Amino acid sequence: MIHTIVYGFTIGAILYFIAIGLSLTFGMMRVINFAHTLTYTLGVYMLVSLGALFKGYFVIAAMIAVVVVIPISYLIERCIIRRLYGESLDHTFIATFAIALIGVDTIKWIWGVLPYPLSDPIGEYLTIGGLTLPIYRIVIVMIAILLFIGLEFFFRKSIVGKIVVAALEDRDGVGCLGIDVDHYFSIVFMMGSALAALGGVLYAPISSVHPYMGLSILLLCFAVVIVGGMGNLRGTFVSALALGMIMAVTARYWSQGAETMVFIVMAIVLIFRPIDI
Amino acid sequence: MLLGKGRGKLLDVKEIDVTYGRAKVLHDVSLQLNQGEVVFIVGRNGAGKTTLLKTISGLMKPSKGSIVYNGEDTRGLSSAKLAQKGVRYVAQDKKVFSHLTVRDNIELAAYAAGEEMSTAIQRTTSIYPKLNDLMDNKAGGLSGGEREILLIGRALVGNPRLFLIDEPTEGLAAIVIEDIFRILSQMKGHNVSAFIVEQNLSIVNRLADRVYIMKEGKIIREISEKPEMADTKDLESYL
Repeated sequence: MIHTIVYGFTIGAILYFIAIGLSLTFGMMRVINFAHTLTYTLGVYMLVSLGALFKGYFVIAAMIAVVVVIPISYLIERCIIRRLYGESLDHTFIATFAIALIGVDTIKWIWGVLPYPLSDPIGEYLTIGGLTLPIYRIVIVMIAILLFIGLEFFFRKSIVGKIVVAALEDRDGVGCLGIDVDHYFSIVFMMGSALAALGGVLYAPISSVHPYMGLSILLLCFAVVIVGGMGNLRGTFVSALALGMIMAVTARYWSQGAETMVFIVMAIVLIFRPIDI
Repeated sequence: MLLGKGRGKLLDVKEIDVTYGRAKVLHDVSLQLNQGEVVFIVGRNGAGKTTLLKTISGLMKPSKGSIVYNGEDTRGLSSAKLAQKGVRYVAQDKKVFSHLTVRDNIELAAYAAGEEMSTAIQRTTSIYPKLNDLMDNKAGGLSGGEREILLIGRALVGNPRLFLIDEPTEGLAAIVIEDIFRILSQMKGHNVSAFIVEQNLSIVNRLADRVYIMKEGKIIREISEKPEMADTKDLESYL
């Protein structure tokens, strides 16, 4: 069972990395951003290429992969997402889904359709009281906790963080003070994309790398955002870990139902707390 | 803490129409505001008063007509750009940034206006010293009156030129309404320019330099004589 709990926290941590950007994008600008899958998957494929270049230096390859995604996400926000502010949710859904599909095809064109095998970059195990746990998974959970603490600090103490928190609640109110919310949204969008890429590069060694990997995890991340509350950053953290745990525990007893259970929980949450869009 | 201004036209709204989807909410609305004038807008719910303030603040765009502020046509300017040029809109909903502290709320205004935090706090607390004791409280925990005062105080940061205040006393207890009146009087004493939407005729009567009356999206009357403004029975017939 301890293994299941560690696996649950790992999945939860990965979901958290990806869901943060989705939650902020929706909470602040009312854009359902399917293009988020692209930055996640691109991060992974950058890692594949850079991993071959920096053999044995996973951390360096992973950091560069995350950094490379930032200017790409800036272009996506500047050229496409920015034109969707204030548009209906249908328009944002269709446009960002189109970006995701174009991205998948571009990845297939560059890297091919066959899955890439990546291995656990640490490859060591921790034995506690007869239990053997993969250190890499523990590291992922630790990074997620550090990220949560870092983001809490960022949103509470920095002026950019405070502007984002205020804009999540009342975008017009922030604008009426003389603050160009779109400018700060660009920063938040790039930050969210970088975190999605970070989630991708951390998850890639313990999952399967293929062009559609972003689309399959994105739906789970939307469930995290809905359960945690759109734009609710603490809620996203708790929801990600809880749903990750639900997936892991369900998979232990009924592997086919792991993802289904996440959407059942989401449906129950929606019954009792409908989304106001 | 507020800058006095001389007379002269600050805002000229000419024949604007505003539509929500297919519904036209403002029809051919024209009005003016001189520097240092406090002008009230009175009318029933749904008369278009809030839409008018939102349009002047840049939150909504007119489909026809022009709005000239301080000699500049504001069409195409966002609410943020207008705020940077000294226009402050205080919305009706008393919506502060509830997850932030009172101090953080003021800090955002100071940051936007490029003003020192100490000056911003001084400006805000000058109208209501009790805010000093609430600085580290979450703004979401403030009472309705305190929220309104924080919103007005926040709007004072950066020494703006034009205030657009929507129903500042709505839903407040009588004692708090007097606090708001005192604050607005203080602002008027410093020669600020403001459009204020208000249903409380006692406030209108005591503070207004002029009154516009709105009905069904149109300005139907302008009152600039004190005796007419004091005739609350007459004004009441428009509410």
